[in-house]
Amino acid sequence: MKNALILARDWIVERTGFDRVWEVLFERHVPEAKGPAAWLYTLGSASLFVFLVQVVTGSLLAMNYVPSPDHAYDSVRFIGEKVLCGSFIRGLHHWGASFMVVLVVAHMLRIYFMGSYKYPREGTWMVGVVLLLLVVGLGFTGYLLPWDQKAYWATAVGTNIAEQTPFIGPLVAKVLKGSSELGAATLPRFYALHVLVLPAAMLLGLGVHLFLVVWHGISEPPERARRPGEAP
Amino acid sequence: MSPWHEEYRRRYARLKGAGKSFFPHAVFKDALVAFLIFAALSLLAWKFGAGLESLADPTDATYNPRPEWYFLFLFQALKAFPGSLESVAAVVLPGAAVLGLLLLPLIDRGPERHPFDRPLLTGLGILGLIVVGSLTVAGLRSPLVNPIEEKDPLVAAGRRVYQDMNCAYCHKIRGKGGVVGPELDKVVGGESVEWLEKHFRDPKSVVPGSAMPQLHLLDDEIAALAAYMKSIGDEPFTKEAPRLFSEHCAACHKIGREGGESGPDLSLIGSARDKAALKRAIADPTSLNPAAAMPAFKDQLTDVQIEDLARYLSSLGR
Repeated sequence: MKNALILARDWIVERTGFDRVWEVLFERHVPEAKGPAAWLYTLGSASLFVFLVQVVTGSLLAMNYVPSPDHAYDSVRFIGEKVLCGSFIRGLHHWGASFMVVLVVAHMLRIYFMGSYKYPREGTWMVGVVLLLLVVGLGFTGYLLPWDQKAYWATAVGTNIAEQTPFIGPLVAKVLKGSSELGAATLPRFYALHVLVLPAAMLLGLGVHLFLVVWHGISEPPERARRPGEAP
Repeated sequence: MSPWHEEYRRRYARLKGAGKSFFPHAVFKDALVAFLIFAALSLLAWKFGAGLESLADPTDATYNPRPEWYFLFLFQALKAFPGSLESVAAVVLPGAAVLGLLLLPLIDRGPERHPFDRPLLTGLGILGLIVVGSLTVAGLRSPLVNPIEEKDPLVAAGRRVYQDMNCAYCHKIRGKGGVVGPELDKVVGGESVEWLEKHFRDPKSVVPGSAMPQLHLLDDEIAALAAYMKSIGDEPFTKEAPRLFSEHCAACHKIGREGGESGPDLSLIGSARDKAALKRAIADPTSLNPAAAMPAFKDQLTDVQIEDLARYLSSLGR
């Protein structure tokens, strides 16, 4: 029996290189951070965790949501009142969005103040800034979906702001809204952005970001610069 | 390659070698934080849920739009840049900030990493945090633009019936909807509730030859729809109303070119307030806005006069 398990494991390892993947991802060494600062290094993985919560709860919500102005509001009410644990799942997704913004910004501030964006991690930082914008975009597009008063008018304000952009503003606003006014054409557009376009871009960006984190190694906590002639 | 790059690579390799394995040391901390976050999320989701207001109503100009809290600082910054400068606060400044963040590692390329060794960027970061933080707090504290109005639940139910029955396929309200039937806000004001209810039961019974189909609604749906119709229609006012306005209101308020300027211009007030809100504002302004400088008219005018005046004002700008 034990032999069979080892055989099965070897069979998989030989065909997937899983042992090397495990070594590279989990047995890589990380420079030691001491004291409370060590906990700041969990902000990135915490953001990833909340993103996964959003993916799971979002998928569950999408199973009962209808992205049309005639049915969106009623389907959200249906989720809250009739679907098993629906109001809890919607609550998780709602609060998860706020947590996501807070954690991603906190993660960025850690990198900013510790100067961790410097050589050789410039690319990791730039992809991170794009990921931050995607999070904000997900928050903005998701806000319209319940199609209640708050959703409608907050989005009206947002698209009006986009319209103010010099030169390209009117075009951007029209593409977002799907017509000259916020209405029936807007909701399916925001839905497609929220569940297809932005999450796909997010997964791609996350893949690159995480690859770079592992490739370069996690940055060590900063030390004061030594003046010339000072002992190390 | 800069000379310090080479040195950094060597030093990092040494620190990494002396460090601990990602699993289980870092994974343990990450898992603990993830668990605490999930506990907090669950608590918030369970205690407060997500909330759902009434159905979106594009014709409701009295709603107080509020963005999600993390956009509030932007919303608040708009107020500091009036008129044509608004695009500076809305797009140019945030755009420049994002671009600056994106290019940061190409601008700040030296070996110094400790915040005290980079006083300019550290200061800039703290300043940015203070600006965004105080704008967010100011946004949370700023009073609502429109006073919160209690809406008649019957009217809200009627609006749902109007939407569910797709009335807008044929009818217009405030310029939105189809062209087959009459524009409702123009015609409905003069009709009584009884007439409306009869009409909704069987359109042909009161308008022979009407092309409108029978709706087959329940009694309470008919009552709600009638209440909604009464709320959108311009009710007729008497010739007294403009005279009452010039006598009691025009010292402070303007309609068109006539009137004083110490109070708000009321030329378009009907597009922003319904009749019920205007009645309250005339009778006792402090009941809507405790800081109002306007006197209460409930003792100077009769209820009939206030109703007349409110009908007149709610017709302006619609």
